[in-house]
Amino acid sequence: MSFTSVRAGRIEAASKYCSSVFRVIDMFPVVVVHGGAGHIPKERSEKSMSGLCSAARAGYVILRGGGSSMDAVVEVVRQLENNPSFNAGCGSVLNAKGEVEMDAIVMDGKALGSGAVSGVCNIANPIQLARLVMNKTSHVCLTSEGANQFARSMGVPEVPPESLITEYSRMRWTKNLAVDADPVECQMGKMGTVGAVAVDSEGNVACATSTGGMLNKMEGRVGDTPCIGSGGYADNLVGAVSTTGHGEAIMKVTLARLILFHMEQGQSVEAASDLGLAYMKSRVGGLGGVVTVDPRGHWAARFSSHQMAWAAAQKDTVHYGLYSGENFTQSIDDPL
Amino acid sequence: MSAVIVVHGGAWAIPNGLAKASVDGVKVAACDGFSVLQRGGSALDAVEAAVRALEDNTVFDAGHGAVLNADGEVELDAIIMDGRTLASGAVSSVKNIANPVSLARAVMEKTAHVMLTSTGANLFAESIGMATVPTDTLVTENEMKEWRKNKNYVAGVMEDFNCQWAHDTVGAVAVDSAGNVACATSTGGIRNKMVGRVGDSPIIGSGGYADNFVGAVSCTGHGESILKVTLARLILSHVEQGKSLAESSQLSLKYMGDRVLGAGGAIVVSPSGQWAATFTTERMAWAAVDHDGLWYGLEPNERRKEQLSQ
Repeated sequence: MSFTSVRAGRIEAASKYCSSVFRVIDMFPVVVVHGGAGHIPKERSEKSMSGLCSAARAGYVILRGGGSSMDAVVEVVRQLENNPSFNAGCGSVLNAKGEVEMDAIVMDGKALGSGAVSGVCNIANPIQLARLVMNKTSHVCLTSEGANQFARSMGVPEVPPESLITEYSRMRWTKNLAVDADPVECQMGKMGTVGAVAVDSEGNVACATSTGGMLNKMEGRVGDTPCIGSGGYADNLVGAVSTTGHGEAIMKVTLARLILFHMEQGQSVEAASDLGLAYMKSRVGGLGGVVTVDPRGHWAARFSSHQMAWAAAQKDTVHYGLYSGENFTQSIDDPL
Repeated sequence: MSAVIVVHGGAWAIPNGLAKASVDGVKVAACDGFSVLQRGGSALDAVEAAVRALEDNTVFDAGHGAVLNADGEVELDAIIMDGRTLASGAVSSVKNIANPVSLARAVMEKTAHVMLTSTGANLFAESIGMATVPTDTLVTENEMKEWRKNKNYVAGVMEDFNCQWAHDTVGAVAVDSAGNVACATSTGGIRNKMVGRVGDSPIIGSGGYADNFVGAVSCTGHGESILKVTLARLILSHVEQGKSLAESSQLSLKYMGDRVLGAGGAIVVSPSGQWAATFTTERMAWAAVDHDGLWYGLEPNERRKEQLSQ
């Protein structure tokens, strides 16, 4: 067999995964969003919740208009990056040196295409840069100065470092420089990583996750977020997951991929998410949260941490919650 | 419980000129790793020793002998993982370090983090007193020649999706006499890669994974494809479902070929001492040492055996 025909055969084999085998008549597009797991101070929770609900609405409007799940998750995360209430983009936590270094990932469930950036500085919307890595390079992940070099080559503007730093993030950084401070203990999601998963009307799933990482992290520390299978994973045949929580624990169990393995074994989105989180807690002592969808539009927002700010939009209804068991709703037509 | 180590020197179309040196290199590294196990060392110690031997060997694209990126620089990735606790350490895009696998181990043992990248990883190396080496010492004459010849990375990809450009990542997996498993993977990546490109090697679940309850894997091949299917974790998920190591590896590599059109290879050990070395590329240099002796191969289905020289 010639090389060309081998290639053709493979492409044919691959194309069966790309067609909308999971297109079902009663598919309801959905987007599910999280703003980080952990303990969210009361004075900040209201702002977080309204930011999440409005981002979920924006994502849902894209889906309702026939837009792709990839467009929806990127728009949702872009809005959250621009919102200083969250630890991503503007509002990112500072590393030990007092600088912002961000990580982000996107993944498209159709062809398993993925793009990620790690340790990137001076970029307002790392999620859009991650998408460019997916669309414009033959690579999946670019790091540090190389990612910035790529951003320049794509005409993505660099922003002044101060524009990403809030009073709040600087205050927390200063507080954690004290000798008796425990940044690991203190960082758990007071302002979290942000992420989204979505299913569009064609049954395509996608995920996006973005973060400033861990408070007072070492320079160059990369957490779970940009690592495929840990910070997120999307596969049209199974579903999509975006994670948040203690990054190092999430990596050790490759949490996103683990949850999807459980779904491949027939578990529901809720059960698979709970199984993955319970395993992470028992095996490596880590807490976190996830948003999960399957290609038929079932969704879940689950967490083992004290709280996780989340919102979901489906069938013209926005659902949201912060503590375990909460599921408030509002109509998409209600004023914000 | 009998100890086992398996190593690979990369899955790709290894040219005839490099074939013998590659096989000799993996045999030596496997024996180095096995002697650590024989002395009562842990699986973690053994995979680090084996990968250090491969990094020090200029035949392989890791440490000394690494390929150059688009700017003509060396950027190295490595990971190590301990199946006992799922502890892991990784570095990406680190420069001027002769043995990135040992730096990855230091990240695991001396920081609260799992992964450090770029200058941050180099700063950490400095802080623990790890010596840096001049870039020239890591680059071979041959690599300088190949890099100039093959400067257009995109053309390289188009010519042959899988094989024509070097991506001979190295790796090792081991199980020690206590039944602990570990993996380690190290690479210079793809020749002419973009500055800052991170491949599968340092990404947990892609370049490697180790879990005492299931087994340990180290992967090699087209990095972007390996990432898209999280190959190491995928292989272990099949093992968890009760499939043999060889079958799990074959199924996963075939899936990677079908789904994202990528070729590669993997080595696997189980906590009970079974092992497999599997690939879908033209060649993969691999070697294993178990209680029976030294096994090695290069071509598909090639499996040779030698008595271990004491």
